[in-house]
Amino acid sequence: MLSRRLLRNLDFTIIVTTGILILISLVIIGSATHINTPSEERYWFVQRQGMFAVANIVLVFVMLHFDYKSLSKYANVLYGINLVMLLAVMFVGQSALGAQRWIQLGPISIQPSEFSKIIMIISLAHLLDKKTGKMNSFKEIIPVFIYIGVPFLLVLKQPDLGTSLVFLAILFGMIFVAGISLKHLGAIAAAGVAFMPIFWHFLKDYQKKRLTVFLDPNADPLGSGYHIIQSKIAIGSGMLFGKGLFGGTQSQLNFLPENHTDFIFAVIGEELGFIGACIILLLYFILLYRSVKVAGAARDNFGMLLATGISSMMTFHLLVNVGMTAGIMPVTGIPLPFMSYGVSSLTTNMVSIGILLNIYMRRQKIMF
Amino acid sequence: MASASHVTIRKRAAVLFLFVIVIMMGLIGRLGYLQFVKSNWLMENATDQRVREIPVEAKRGIIYDRNGKEMAVSVNTESVYAIPAEIQNADETAAKLAAILTLDADKLSRKLKRRQAFTWIERKIDERTARAIKTINLPGIGLTQEGRRQYPFENLASHVLGFTGIDSQGLDGVELTFDSYLKGRHGGIVVEYDARGQEIPYATHRYAPPVEGQNVYLTIDVVIQQIVERELDRVIRDTQAKSVTIIVMEPNTGEILALANKPDYNPNKFADYSPKLWRNNAVSNTYEPGSTFKIITTSAVLGEGIISSSDRFFDPGEVEVQGRIIHCWKAGGHGSQSFAEVVQNSCNVGFVNVGLKLGAESFYRYIKAFGFGRVTGIDLPGEAKGIIIDETKVKPINIATMAIGQSIAVTPIQLISAAAAVANGGKLLRPQLVREVRDKDGNITRCFYPDIINTVVNEKTAQAVKGILENVVEQGTGRNAYVEGFRVAGKTGTAQKVGSGGYVAGKYVASFLGFAPADNPRMVMLVVIDEPVGAYYGGVIAAPVFNAVARDILQYMKVVPTAETSTSEAEPHVIVPGVINCLVPDAVAELKKMKLEARVEEAGNRVADQIPKPGSRVPAGSLILLYTLTPRYSVGEVTVPDLTGKTEREAADVLAELGLFIQPFGNGSSTVRQHPLAGSKVMPGTTVVVFCE
Repeated sequence: MLSRRLLRNLDFTIIVTTGILILISLVIIGSATHINTPSEERYWFVQRQGMFAVANIVLVFVMLHFDYKSLSKYANVLYGINLVMLLAVMFVGQSALGAQRWIQLGPISIQPSEFSKIIMIISLAHLLDKKTGKMNSFKEIIPVFIYIGVPFLLVLKQPDLGTSLVFLAILFGMIFVAGISLKHLGAIAAAGVAFMPIFWHFLKDYQKKRLTVFLDPNADPLGSGYHIIQSKIAIGSGMLFGKGLFGGTQSQLNFLPENHTDFIFAVIGEELGFIGACIILLLYFILLYRSVKVAGAARDNFGMLLATGISSMMTFHLLVNVGMTAGIMPVTGIPLPFMSYGVSSLTTNMVSIGILLNIYMRRQKIMF
Repeated sequence: MASASHVTIRKRAAVLFLFVIVIMMGLIGRLGYLQFVKSNWLMENATDQRVREIPVEAKRGIIYDRNGKEMAVSVNTESVYAIPAEIQNADETAAKLAAILTLDADKLSRKLKRRQAFTWIERKIDERTARAIKTINLPGIGLTQEGRRQYPFENLASHVLGFTGIDSQGLDGVELTFDSYLKGRHGGIVVEYDARGQEIPYATHRYAPPVEGQNVYLTIDVVIQQIVERELDRVIRDTQAKSVTIIVMEPNTGEILALANKPDYNPNKFADYSPKLWRNNAVSNTYEPGSTFKIITTSAVLGEGIISSSDRFFDPGEVEVQGRIIHCWKAGGHGSQSFAEVVQNSCNVGFVNVGLKLGAESFYRYIKAFGFGRVTGIDLPGEAKGIIIDETKVKPINIATMAIGQSIAVTPIQLISAAAAVANGGKLLRPQLVREVRDKDGNITRCFYPDIINTVVNEKTAQAVKGILENVVEQGTGRNAYVEGFRVAGKTGTAQKVGSGGYVAGKYVASFLGFAPADNPRMVMLVVIDEPVGAYYGGVIAAPVFNAVARDILQYMKVVPTAETSTSEAEPHVIVPGVINCLVPDAVAELKKMKLEARVEEAGNRVADQIPKPGSRVPAGSLILLYTLTPRYSVGEVTVPDLTGKTEREAADVLAELGLFIQPFGNGSSTVRQHPLAGSKVMPGTTVVVFCE
């Protein structure tokens, strides 16, 4: 059983903020989906998402009983499992929307690339833990890149460009905090830029189109530009106060596709207006603030790196997803944490929150 | 482990957090940009995407005559439209529709595939077709009501009414000039659709009702218009003129009681007629008025007081002005005569002299005061303003010829307005065509009152001019205009037409301008016969038309005839006997017996034709013209022209000019056969059957 002291150390701000975000997400998903779902199952998406949220609360609560430090022990095992999972997707996975990302397990289809994000964070934290403060030679740095390069390429192969970019964000966030010398960081960035054309060459046509079309969506208004145009129209037409919950015309009337998953923020913008959208961004800001705070408060480097990885992941998700719906980021299929419908994504994010709570709860060294 | 690296780590975490703050600000800024700066534009986009408007046409106002008879009405018809986004199978839909509407399926299918919110497929279809389309009930295809204009009197007053186009917009006549009142404001049914093009149940489904057009009440009297047009039909048949025009005006108000030109068109199917026939000669045509303009000269002369009715003139038969000799129409001249007699005889020499005496400055003042050289402002499109020689450049020869109605071009409407000014005691009025406009509930929204432009002459001068003009009809050139039981005043006119390089031989405009009763005028009338074939004297062919029309109008208007005509010595009237086919001496003798004078126009020995016609009522002593060689204008028969190779429209035009009707068969582009054959003699009004291939 958890001790009273540990419970007292829980970060209630994170718990409340996450709780509010999940409740809001259930309402918005309801608004986005109810009209196009047969009436007897009108709130199927909401019920399913709610059910998994409850299951995850239980999971997080169980996880809190174990010291996060034990994750370090399983880091290499998890890394191995991750590779197996990603390979499994390649051979037995199901494709949807042009990408092979899902594995069907009984009644639920899981998206291994979602889970691999949190696994990457754990593995990287384990690897960098020993290297903290010593990241000033390529001898130390290159193995880290190889380590993350394997799963990165496997995800990219699916193809899931979005998730592979999340890997990069996590990597840079963590090595930065792990104290990589700025000289080396600069060299890596320069190499990255130099390799960009080659990387570009390996992209599929639709990915190239997606990456560029946001600059001028009207070049292909009914094709790859359609999402962006509709999303912008939805947000813009919301104006200051929005059209009210369940009152959005663009999101309710099929003009905006994927409105309950990747483009859920456009529904928020249309129905809740600028004010509603800002309140939700504020909630995310609180969450990110607290997660950085957790990183700083961690009792050891491993905890600090874990929290940094989680912060990087969530920040990147927020930037790319909201930026995409607002037309300033390419469409890459990255969900909005806690908000987008999706069981795998929700689980990953809630487990991440569980880890943050775990780190913060055990921030003081236990004295025997 | 409070090493240096730990401090670095904390610093770097802070940098990372700063990064989060920047991202947050960026996102909020972007949202603000979309939701405030571009919001209106994006909002419109959102509305455009889901809202479509189906137009609902406003019912066009009715045009009534002055007594409330419907002259132009709108009947409801259905129009077919498509909303391409809702169509499920464009090819199939097009095929089905094309079959019903007899359209080209391929073209229609392309139209239905076009990216547009709304498109018309066929406008104003008949009821049976509309029912057929309703029964098959194709998604994305709908029907909406539109009005089709109908003119129950067909050709009657076509040049006054005008016509409307496919969108029920006025295109000509009062339909055009009063379009803003008649058209109303169209409404619409606003329907919301989702991205799949499905109508949203319970969504905004607004019906913005159209505002009905207002009703226009004309000054035209259908009965008078009918009298006028009946006579015009007869005149154009009898004289074979290029065109004829009659305007009847109420002199005290300026209201037009009737206005018509022949040939005309049927506004119900205006597109079947040559646009030349749409032209309203009464307001658009300018011509040299000839002697009818002497009314203006007379008014100016008497108004200036430089001459009185009794001043005497001598007409030697010609007068020389600036080296040019102007002849009087009567060979040898009229000799010594008073000014009243100058007018009565329409003596050119006399008028040239008084005109010169009047001088350019005074004469121009009157010409302008009478409204020449500018539009009258009648509510009809296409009004011409006539041509007047620039006052600064005018020479005595011009003044001389203007005095007799030459070297000046006027429109019929200007001329009748000027005559009305004399008739009503000196006030020039704007000619009016509309009495009032009422909304659909009958409330008057606009009312027209007599619009006095200026006073031209004083009451006394007007009375003097009227007296002289009465003499013209009693004893002068206008005798044929005389209406028994009424005092009629008027002036005849015969003008040679001006072509390029001078006057054109054999082409005349015969006219009569007059009013009745002379002492209290109730109507002014102008008859203009353009290019008559055969007799061309205004007194011979135009004055009888005035007589025939005025007689019926005065009776219709219940104007009480004066028991005794003013001049006691007015000759009694006689009926012109028929002398066609008689030998010339017998004919002359026969006419003598009836106290009529005869003039033989050609050197034949048997009378082939006569003017006026047998049976006409003319004052005793009238001149009857006898033609001997060929009938100048046949009593009825016209020669059927060869229509081979002509299109249906061309054939219709050719036939219409001869007063014949067309009955087309086949749907080809050129005529291959016709019945009766070319060269056959038929009565005007005969239908010629034309086969096109």
